[in-house]
Amino acid sequence: MTIPAWILNVFAAVMLAVAAASAARLAARRPWQRGRGAAVADIDVAHLLMGVAMAGTLTTGLRTLPDGAWAVVFGVLTAWFGCQVARNGRREGIRALSGARCAPHLVHSAAMLYMFAAVATPAASGPGAAGMGGMGGSGMQTLGLPILALIFAFLLVGYCVWDLDQLSGPGVTGHYSVALPRVGPGGPALAGIPAVTGIGTRAAATAPAGGVVGGNTSTAPPAATAQEAPPAASETTARAASPVLAPWVTTSCRIAMGVTMAFMLIIMI
Amino acid sequence: MSDFAVAAHRDAGRAGPATEADGVRAAPDARRVLQLALAGLWLLDGVLQYQAFMFSKGFGQMLAGTASGNPGVVGRPITWNASLVQHHAVLVNAIFATVQLLLGIGIAWRPAVRPALAASIAWALGVWWLGEGLGMVLTPGTSPVTGAPGAVILYALLAVLLWPADRPGPAAPFVAARAVGAPVARGLWLVLWLGLAYFALQPANRAPQGLHDMIAGMAHGEPGWLAALERNAAALVAHQGLTASIVLAAALVLVAAGVYLPGRPARGAVALAILVAAVLWVFGEAFGAILAGGSTDPNSGLPLILLALAYWPARTAGARGPDLSPAVSPAGEGARS
Repeated sequence: MTIPAWILNVFAAVMLAVAAASAARLAARRPWQRGRGAAVADIDVAHLLMGVAMAGTLTTGLRTLPDGAWAVVFGVLTAWFGCQVARNGRREGIRALSGARCAPHLVHSAAMLYMFAAVATPAASGPGAAGMGGMGGSGMQTLGLPILALIFAFLLVGYCVWDLDQLSGPGVTGHYSVALPRVGPGGPALAGIPAVTGIGTRAAATAPAGGVVGGNTSTAPPAATAQEAPPAASETTARAASPVLAPWVTTSCRIAMGVTMAFMLIIMI
Repeated sequence: MSDFAVAAHRDAGRAGPATEADGVRAAPDARRVLQLALAGLWLLDGVLQYQAFMFSKGFGQMLAGTASGNPGVVGRPITWNASLVQHHAVLVNAIFATVQLLLGIGIAWRPAVRPALAASIAWALGVWWLGEGLGMVLTPGTSPVTGAPGAVILYALLAVLLWPADRPGPAAPFVAARAVGAPVARGLWLVLWLGLAYFALQPANRAPQGLHDMIAGMAHGEPGWLAALERNAAALVAHQGLTASIVLAAALVLVAAGVYLPGRPARGAVALAILVAAVLWVFGEAFGAILAGGSTDPNSGLPLILLALAYWPARTAGARGPDLSPAVSPAGEGARS
């Protein structure tokens, strides 16, 4: 009983595409430069790491780090997103657990942590075992506490359908906007002044001084606003015009990762 | 997600209550939520279908086993399909799994909700016959405790009841009545739950050790804690097959009739339906035996709960809920037909 390698390879390829898209987003955003969105690069970093880790788990040839190292990485990410959710939760209560903010990323990170921390050594690894390709066979990797795998699978599927619904709704803005990033009349986004654009948006585009990216209503952190000088207009335009920065790219990546992660958890039960 | 949107959100804690800065994410109405739950079930089924066992000849043999006990006219197509699966296990199963994934994605993707729901009905009927042997409802040993009449036929029923259209006239008393009308919806509910009561009283269930053996049998292959739970539940009904069957059937009849009651009693009946479905899912179906491996769906408990939620009586303004323009899809969600 094995899962055909080509199926695992397809999932691995999707994860590599997710990692590539996340890397492209990071490159377009340049978070290593001050004022380039370093404070919010965590999601792209998380997606990049998850994509690489899952691809490596699905196909041995793409394996990069040992399971223990990945467990540490995702432990840190889980703690990070846990703090974000706790902070949001204090303000919004249960509402912080829905939607497109940190809660889905917390679930994704925690699921990855569980996957790498609870994986059991294959009982009988054959010479042909290849990553999860081997997991489908007699040397199948399994997870301890399988009920957690089931719970995570339910949560991941739940977030997937929610994301799909929100992504496909007419008139959405913000996290689910399908609008390409564009620059508001006042320049780049970090101005601390609300602005709205986007396809079918409810509010008129109003960006008196702040720029808008991705059709989101953006209110930049005051600290960033105070510290950062706007980048050159041409540079900002080039960055903002990058299609990979559109919000739907990240949401689509999350949907793909959610399905793949649920698949991995289920076949490792 | 835009980084700037995230920045905006994070900053909202300092700037004040979250408003538009969070992005417009109007909550979908009750029917859309149930549609999404159905989409989730299909998505989960698709993922389950990718398990290693499904790519083996054992899956085909499992399908062939559902022909046993069914009339020949029902069983022969099952045997033909099982043979096809056995000979082309990888290709056929990959198609099965992908179709179910796409059904889930399609229902969740608003512009595709109608075709996806329609396709899910056709697919569910096919699977119910060729994959589940009509839920074994024509065989003597069937029982609601172990999942009769089959999860997938409940998916089809849900797809019909959650169809994105509204009948003209007064506001529907519950979500399930919006597309087909209250009389039809109540009739379907009555048939379903009376059918379950009928199955509960079949000889196999009335036998002294009938229910005990069914429940104890679910412990096989489950994790220790769940196996212990199953064994304890089985011990409770040991040698009590007749009594337990009558109690279960009485509860199911109450549920069936309850949907015709007004207000609070109706809510009580639907709540009882949810409770019964949850008990069946945990103790009779062991969470669909997913933890034991080789399961193709979470069994009937979850869809029964979803179905019951679709019959939860609306408070005052009907089940239509608030007019949420973002929730109104181009496919006609919320539109009158």
